[in-house]
This record gives sequence, C-alpha cells and structure tokens, in this order.
Amino acid sequence: MQVNSWYGTIIVAFLLCLVCSVVVSTTAVKLKEEQKANVELDIKRNLLLSSGLITDKKASRNTVEEKFKNVETKVVDLETGQYVENSPQNFDARKAAKDPKMSVEVPSPDKAKIKNRSKWATVYLIEDGGVPVSLVLPVSGYGLWSTLYGFLTLDADTRTVKGLGFYEHAETPGLGGEVDNPKWKAQWNGKVILDKNYQPNVRVEKNGNDKGKNSVDALSGATITSRGVENLLHYWLGDHGYGPFLAEFRKGEI
Amino acid sequence: MSKVSDALFDPVFKNNPIALQILGICSALAVTTKMETTVIMCIALTLVVGFSSFFVSLIRNSIPSSIRIIVQMTIIASLVIVADQILKAFVYDISKQLSVFVGLIITNCIVMGRAEAYAMKNGPVLSFLDGIGNGLGYSAVLLIVGAIRELFGSGKFFNIPVFKLASDDGWYTGNGLMVSPPSAFLLIGVLIWILRTFQPDQVEEE
Amino acid sequence: MKFLRNILDDLHPQFSEGGKLERLYPLYEALDTFAFTPGEVSTGSTHVRDSMDIKRLMVTVVVSLIPVTMMGMWNTGYQAIKVLSAQSTNSWADVEGWQASVMSLLNLGLDPSNLVSNFIYGALFFLPVYIVTVAVGGGVEFTFCLVRKHEVNEGFLVTSLLFPLTLPATIPLWQVALGIAFGVLFAKEVFGGTGKNFLNVALTSRAFLYFAYPAQLSGDAVWVAVDGHTAATSLGLAAAGGVDAASVGWDILDAFYGLIPGSMGETSVLCALIGALILIGTGTGSWRIMLSVVLGAVATAAFFNAVGSDTNPMFGMSIPWHLCLGGFAFGTVFMATDPVTAAMTNRGKWFYGALIGIMTILIRVVNPAYPEGIMLAILFANLFAPLIDYFVMESNIKRRLKRSAS
Repeated sequence: MQVNSWYGTIIVAFLLCLVCSVVVSTTAVKLKEEQKANVELDIKRNLLLSSGLITDKKASRNTVEEKFKNVETKVVDLETGQYVENSPQNFDARKAAKDPKMSVEVPSPDKAKIKNRSKWATVYLIEDGGVPVSLVLPVSGYGLWSTLYGFLTLDADTRTVKGLGFYEHAETPGLGGEVDNPKWKAQWNGKVILDKNYQPNVRVEKNGNDKGKNSVDALSGATITSRGVENLLHYWLGDHGYGPFLAEFRKGEI
Repeated sequence: MSKVSDALFDPVFKNNPIALQILGICSALAVTTKMETTVIMCIALTLVVGFSSFFVSLIRNSIPSSIRIIVQMTIIASLVIVADQILKAFVYDISKQLSVFVGLIITNCIVMGRAEAYAMKNGPVLSFLDGIGNGLGYSAVLLIVGAIRELFGSGKFFNIPVFKLASDDGWYTGNGLMVSPPSAFLLIGVLIWILRTFQPDQVEEE
Repeated sequence: MKFLRNILDDLHPQFSEGGKLERLYPLYEALDTFAFTPGEVSTGSTHVRDSMDIKRLMVTVVVSLIPVTMMGMWNTGYQAIKVLSAQSTNSWADVEGWQASVMSLLNLGLDPSNLVSNFIYGALFFLPVYIVTVAVGGGVEFTFCLVRKHEVNEGFLVTSLLFPLTLPATIPLWQVALGIAFGVLFAKEVFGGTGKNFLNVALTSRAFLYFAYPAQLSGDAVWVAVDGHTAATSLGLAAAGGVDAASVGWDILDAFYGLIPGSMGETSVLCALIGALILIGTGTGSWRIMLSVVLGAVATAAFFNAVGSDTNPMFGMSIPWHLCLGGFAFGTVFMATDPVTAAMTNRGKWFYGALIGIMTILIRVVNPAYPEGIMLAILFANLFAPLIDYFVMESNIKRRLKRSAS
C-alpha cells in the first residue's frame, strides 16, 4: 500500500481514529462509576467539613458515609419554599444556574453578585432520631477576585449559625484567603443572623465579635472579601434566597 | 548502551526541555503551588510523553506525511484524555485542583516536540525512553519549583507542616508571592541561571 | 583631607593589580571616589566635558530627599504619639517596644505638640529600617561588584533612601531585608548592575513585599506605629466610602502638609514639591516627566469625575484630593524621574509620564483591591520606556529621511 497516496492517507486516518476512539471510550465507560462516586463523596465531604461535622480534610470514604447517614438530602424550589417532588438524581445547582431554563436572574440589587440563580437548590437536613436538628444550605457570592462557594449550617430555629465554611474560592492568600482559617470560621458558631422577624441581619465588621450576636470580626486587610461574605449571607437568607423555604420550615409543615 | 542512557538522561540536565528549550512553561506556573499536584502532573506528563513517542514511533513508517501532525495530535489527545479519566477516577481531589491543566498537556510543546523531532526518526524503544527522559527533565524542574513554592509559600511539604504558620500561632509568615503563579517564573529563571553557570555552553550567543 | 588622601594613596598599591588585596579593589575604589573626585580621565575617543557625573547626580537626589525624610520621621512620630495620647497613655513606660524605652531614657515628653519627641520617636522607627536596607542591599550589591570586578557607585545611596520611605513604620525588619535583597538582585544585578536595570529598584523591592506579605504592607493595621491601632490610609478609606470618609479627622491641607497616616515618606506633598524644585533647578530630575504624570492623572481623574458611578465612590474623588493623597507626589517626583528606568528621549518622556499618571488613577479608581496605584503604574511604565524610546527614535529617523529626500 502506498502510504502517501490519497487512499493510503484516508485508510490510516480512519484506522487511527477507530483505535483511538475505542481506547478513549472504553476508559471513559469503565471508569464512570468510580468518577461519579468521587464527585458525590467530594460534595458530601465539603458539606461535612463546612458544617463542622468532620474536621479532617482527608476523611476516608467510610467516615464520610457514616456521618452522612444522618443527613437527608432535599431539593427545594426557592420561589415557593416547597420541596420538589421527584427531583432528578444528583441535581447540580451550579450547573443549573448556567442553564437558562433552570435559572432565574437575580433582581437588582444583586448583593451576592451571582447574576443568575438556579430555580432549585439542594438543602441538607441533619437529623437526630428522625428530627432535623440543623439545616445545611449551599451559599455562594462574589468576594474580591472570585466567587466563594460554601455551606451555611443553621440550627433548627433557622436563626442561629452552627457553622459557615467555604470550600472553593480564589481570594488573596493571607488576606481574603483567610476565610478558610479555622479560627475565623469558629467565631460564626452561635451567631444569630436573622432578627426577630426572621429578616437577615448580620454584620462582618471591624471588632465585630464585641458588638453583639449578629456581628463577627472582619478579616484583617480584606475589606472586600469580608463585605462579600456579609452580602452573600444577606442575599441567601433574604426573600429571593432561602427566605421562603426557611419560613415553610419553621411552620413545621415540611 | 550509551544511546539508551543518552536518550533517557540527556534531557534532564544537558538538554532540559524547560531550562534550555523553554518549553512547557504554562503548566509549570499553574500546578506548582503544592508538591501533591506537582508530582501527579509530572507523572501524568512523563507517561503521556513516553507513550505518545512510543506509539508515534511504532507507526512512523505508515504515517502519511500530509497528515503527520494531525496523527500525532490524535494519539497525544487520546492519551491525555485517558490520563485525565484515570486521575478523575482514582485521585479525584488532586485532579480537581489540576483542573484544566491535565487536559492542556495536549498543547504542551514538549509532547508534540518530542513526537515530531525524535519519535518520527527513531525506533519505538528509544523513542519511549526519550519521551520518559524529557518527562523527567520537565519533572526535575517542576519538582524543584514546587518544593520551594510550597515550603516558602505555605510552610509545608507534601501538605505536612514544616514551618508553623503565623496564622496558627507559629513563627512563619507565608510568602504570598510564592503562592501565586508569577513566582514560578522567577524560580525557573533562577534555575536557568544556576544551570548555565555550571554549563556555560548552554548560554545563547548574543 | 590631605591626611585622608595620604592614607588612601598609601593603601593604593595593596589594592591595585598584583597587590595583596586585589580582590577587594571595588571597596577601595568606592571609598576613594566617595571622598575625592577621581583623578582618572577616560581614554576612549568620545568625550563629554561636564561637571555633572554620576556621583554629583546621586548626591543631588539625596539632598532633594532630605525634606521628605525629615518630614517622614517627624510625621511617623507625630501619628503614633497622637494616637497614644488620645488613648490617654501618659507615660512611655506604658508603651511597648524598645523605641518607647529609649524615649523614656531620653526623658522626652509624650505629647503630639512636642516637635522633638515626634521627630525622635519617628526616627527610632525609620532609622532601623534604613540601616537594614543599607546593610543588606549594600551587601548584595557589594558581593556582585566583587565577583564582577565592577566599581561600587553612589546609585545605591538613592535606592537605599527611597525604599524605606515607601514602607509603613511597622514593617518587620526581616521583611525589609528580604525586600531590598530581592530588589537589588532581581531588578538590578541580574541585568548587569547600575545603569542597566530596567525596573526601579526601590519600587521592585516594595512590590515584592506588597505581593509576598500583603498583611504587613496594606490594610489598616500597619500605618500607625502603635500596637493594635488600626487606621486605614486615606486612600483606603476613600475606596470604601468616598472622600467624605477619607477626610475624617483631617482636611486637604493636612494631606498637603503630610499630617496623615501612610508610608513613612509619602505623606507630605509640600516636601515632595521642595524636592521637585531642587531636582528641576539643578537639572537632575526631568520636569517633563513630572508635569506629564500630573497632566495624565488630572485628565484621567476628570474623566472619571465626569462619568460618575453609584457604586464606586472613587469615581467621584476630586482632582486635588487625588493629587494630595497617597504616594502620588512622592512617586511622581522621586520614582518616575529615575533616569535609568524612565524614557530617555524628550518626546518619550511625555508619553512615559502620561502613562504613569493615567495608570495610577485607573488603578486607584477601578481596581477594587489596590487603593493606591502609583507603584504599579511606575513599574508598568518602566517596562514600556524602552519601547516608547524606540518609537520616538524611529519616527525621528523617518522624519529626517523625508526631509533629506525632499
């Protein structure tokens, strides 16, 4: 066969593509289960880390699964505050926020600067003997350089914080990046961030810890990241965020 | 025998792809904040260069010259996708941190360069060794840069605290520049400086 | 003087070629030419006859820096003592730090209206930074001169004075050492030493610290030398809340005189202007650069004023405030005019200066993270200076070719 002739070229190209595609698709199919399990485990681990149920970043699969047994996953329609029946498996709010059909535009003022929000959100109920003792809500918002993604854990009274942590951001290391600092995260515990009428009321300000139950210390040298955290909490706890859901939850009907 | 060891070890010091040819710099900047990601990236790249050279060399006599580059690209791209899939399945954590940079091995000039410059002219075994050698040369630079950046940037080595950070009541203040990508430029520059001081024949003529 | 000359002449054979201390010749040469005008004349075929040499040039710059340095020391002390007395601290014994012990030893009052106290207390913060800069930066430079058999020259005197003036008073001394070592090494020596650096050495050192240790070089806890006291720079305040917020506790005249918190030498516009007069009067600094920086900044600030913004208060900051706050005056007069890193051609200087002015205001107003922009703007323009010169010369060549053709 003449390799450089036109039919030689086509045959080589065809064979090569065939072999390569078989190799690639075989690996992809074979490893799919493993990868799916990894993604799920990653979300669970981040959630447990943010809510303070585990502290080891490299907690093993067994530990995570064990802890997660007490966690019930629900998908909420944010507008009505009701659970979505028959929600799809592995609903991904971050993907949905980019899908015009599944998302809504955030009305002005867009405090968290996220532009679009998924219509639904996955929430997690941590239960003790079948009774929910705390709620874990995914939150996100823009800091200085990047969108911060994290989980806010609330007590069953929906007002008291049990934990706040961010698992993904790209803020300045040493300044805004200190949102990861365990010491800074620890001061959120026990803060009351909804007022008596269940309206968001939380401040991240200089020497905030001395100023009452709804105020925490700002990150030193990172005004904009601190304000970003404050704003994203205001957004997600407000009427366009989890407000309706929290109201339904308090009624005890869902 | 000397041909074998030349193929394998020449690229590490004498003809280092990063320090002498200044190839593959982009990933060197992006993945070297931590040793963990650096090591995985190095292994992935070394294997991809090795095997792509091997396969290209294997079929080098049946590759029509008009679609030469595309054939090489297809082989490289397939290998990279396989590598990416494997990383996602077995070291998900690190693969998440490496994000697009595993996929970008496809565009890494070292891989393409070795396939075109060496594998098209030499036998499969030698090509494989040459690929591995170039991967090692790349790795040598990345590991040094990664070690310095993690140690001085976050006071750790393979995530194990070495210098206790001031934010944890320690004495060491992390160097923020080392955490950000431009520091890799400086470090690679210094490495090239040191290398060329000892091997003056690498200095370009003015 | 005759006596010193004799000693140096006696020592000369030891250091000259073949002598015992040949390797240390740069040290001898530095001492000799620092004290005396060198007797050697150049032997090549081109000669410029001028009394201005690098030594006189550098000494003039140092002289022009004296007002800002003095004011810097005084203001550093004044800001600290003002806060201390506002906290109703009455005795130096209650203040932490060795500086306070020295103050009580000297029996100086803790009173912001006491000029001497302010000056001495500020000097106690400034001088250690300065000494570390000279020792470490000089050490790096000297090592390179020995290896390369270059002569040490006075350029470093200027760099070593400029760098401490750009730092906050509370900067840890190890960071000072690291910063100046980095700057001298990477901005100057790797490119061949004095005269071959394309980046301003003092600013490169500062930029290194700025990105490596932002917590010690920005934010609100570093500007006043009192433990635990937070006071943002006026630009930091303005970025958060506009000029109204920036002028809490002081007005634009205070900013002009330099009675506000900030880096040690950057606060006083008045003293920078005195320096500018000396530089321009002696022909050392380029008035073209200074003027074009100011013009660039004024135009850009006016543009932002006209555009306006509801969310970003910096848009509305008026031109006089822009000119008086932060390191604008200091950078314009002493950093932008650095003859090695600035554009060389006269027409190029206009473009170079304008670029600095525009970028400074652009960074101040638009970048959310950096309240001050002059440092990055000057380094940015440094990079473009050779390119600007290239285009100016190309266009000159073209114009002349055209003229000779017609």
